[in-house]
Amino acid sequence: MLTKVTSAAVNGLDAIFVEVEINSQKGLPGQTIVGLPDASVKESRDRVRSAILNSGFEFPPGYFIINLAPADIRKEGPMYDLPIALGMMVLAGLVKENVEKCVILGELSLDGTVRRVNGILPICLAAKKSGRRQILVSRENADEAALVEGIEVFAAANLREAIDHLNGERPLAPHKFDGKTLLKRSEVDDLDFFDIKGQSHGKRALEVAAAGGHNILLVGSPGSGKTMLARRLPGILPPFTIEEALEVATLYSVAGLLDSKHPLITQRPFRSPHHTTSDVGIIGGGRIPRPGEVSLAHYGVLFLDEFAEFERRVLEVLRQPLEDGQVTISRAQATLTYPAAFMLVAAMNPCPCGNYLDPVKPCVCSPLKTQNYWAKLSGPLLDRIDLQVEIPRLTREELTAQPDGESSKTIRERVIAARDRQRERFAGSPNFSNARMSSRQLREHCRLEREAETLLKSAVIHLGLSARSYDRILKVARTIADLEGVTAIKADHIAEATQYRALDRKGAR
Amino acid sequence: MAMRSYLLGVSGEATAERYLQAKGYSIVAKNFRSQQGEIDLVARKDEFLVFVEVKNYSFSNYRSPASAIRKSKKESIIHAARYYLFVNRINDLNCRFDVLTITRRQGSEPVIDHLENAFEVFGC
Repeated sequence: MLTKVTSAAVNGLDAIFVEVEINSQKGLPGQTIVGLPDASVKESRDRVRSAILNSGFEFPPGYFIINLAPADIRKEGPMYDLPIALGMMVLAGLVKENVEKCVILGELSLDGTVRRVNGILPICLAAKKSGRRQILVSRENADEAALVEGIEVFAAANLREAIDHLNGERPLAPHKFDGKTLLKRSEVDDLDFFDIKGQSHGKRALEVAAAGGHNILLVGSPGSGKTMLARRLPGILPPFTIEEALEVATLYSVAGLLDSKHPLITQRPFRSPHHTTSDVGIIGGGRIPRPGEVSLAHYGVLFLDEFAEFERRVLEVLRQPLEDGQVTISRAQATLTYPAAFMLVAAMNPCPCGNYLDPVKPCVCSPLKTQNYWAKLSGPLLDRIDLQVEIPRLTREELTAQPDGESSKTIRERVIAARDRQRERFAGSPNFSNARMSSRQLREHCRLEREAETLLKSAVIHLGLSARSYDRILKVARTIADLEGVTAIKADHIAEATQYRALDRKGAR
Repeated sequence: MAMRSYLLGVSGEATAERYLQAKGYSIVAKNFRSQQGEIDLVARKDEFLVFVEVKNYSFSNYRSPASAIRKSKKESIIHAARYYLFVNRINDLNCRFDVLTITRRQGSEPVIDHLENAFEVFGC
């Protein structure tokens, strides 16, 4: 006797549908799972047996061959427990309905409870695309699955509920979850720019960075507030569109980081990996590559504190995703591409002791030590960072003063307006922010007024700017003009943009 | 000593037979041997063919049926079961492996534990 159940496998951010074929024959009892299963799939034999027995059913007698087709794709994870168990129940005559039209995914606990599995969101998206209309998952995965409109999601708490549903004895109601209203309701969290005393220069630089999607480097003494500033950046970024939120949720679903209670990521991600993180941790990898920190920060912020303390190779692997907005990871078993359009925020001390720029405390580092410290950051890497800002230590007066800056909400409104201007400007091109302008777009959209051009020329001469810095200043000036809401780039925009090239001016490189 | 445990085994298998017959099984073979294995009892009930391993224990070294079978014993039983199906040309019956433990105590009736479906054949 033969039965077929439809399930799925995750491949990168995509899904492939898997036919779970079960054949039973009389003879000595036992089961074999074929079709490139990994250890967790093979173990499902024992979970399925216990789950069936503990749900009050007889384990069907005979010898079972379970084939996961297509047999040339590796299957990993415990999501085939439920389809295998239901297939066996079909063979035992306990499920009479045709189960092929429903996509079934779920891990089984020994007591028959259906548990959550990773990667439900990409599977649902693929199901919708391929015209499959029904999916049966665990209760914990139900909200996540229901984010995808146009498919019916059935959530079973345990094996018995799943069987009763398929038999039509006690059909489950399709699960509903409204992601869009959730997204609208999401508010800025309690980290507010209003709390930051002083640092008006740093705040403004972050506003510009947020408005244009520019990468930014904050250089300052310990305790000057670099981390505090960076943590408040997601609060001034424009809110997610539903497409962006779904894309990020898909990544988190694959990485197994999605919260079953809040399956939609409503806030732009803020990732701050420790400086001991390996290059694989940053970029992604593994036997079957998993998304790394750059991908988990997709459409959000990757904050690298103590930037110069990261291993050199970690810093160098950042270059390619910074340029392309995605990473392709090749391993023996799979080659996968994950999106990685993140904003880099790096923070570091100006020298190993941290007091180099401090007006009061003396720096005790030898020039060689400071030089070596900076040498870790290669030119090509720093070139990809549009804004480089000094964050000075606060004076006593500033420290004891009441905070009087703008709130994140006010800043965010300006950022959203500036982003809207950019969206209009780049309509029809894949680029969506000033930071990612091509050189052709740069020539087209960054024409300077005469006065501004004179200023930029003199800056190039006096500060010894490179051609790359020149382009960077133009891009940042474009963003500053967008923030102001004007089309032409004026001299003061150029002047401000030049301010954000701290490293060029200092000649620290 | 060896004679004594042999006699204990023989009487244990007789006890097991009586027990299974009382439960509605019919015994179809006893001490079936293949080249590399042996089965104490082969029984039929409904559409099942059951291979039964009988274990005798004194009260002081009692073991549960689940822990009575080691890997090598299991392999020996499976080998004999395959051979049994082959020589008797059986291919239309569901099979099962059961373990029966008989625990004796001086002055009282032996206690019989019957574990159905004690183990399976994994892979082929």
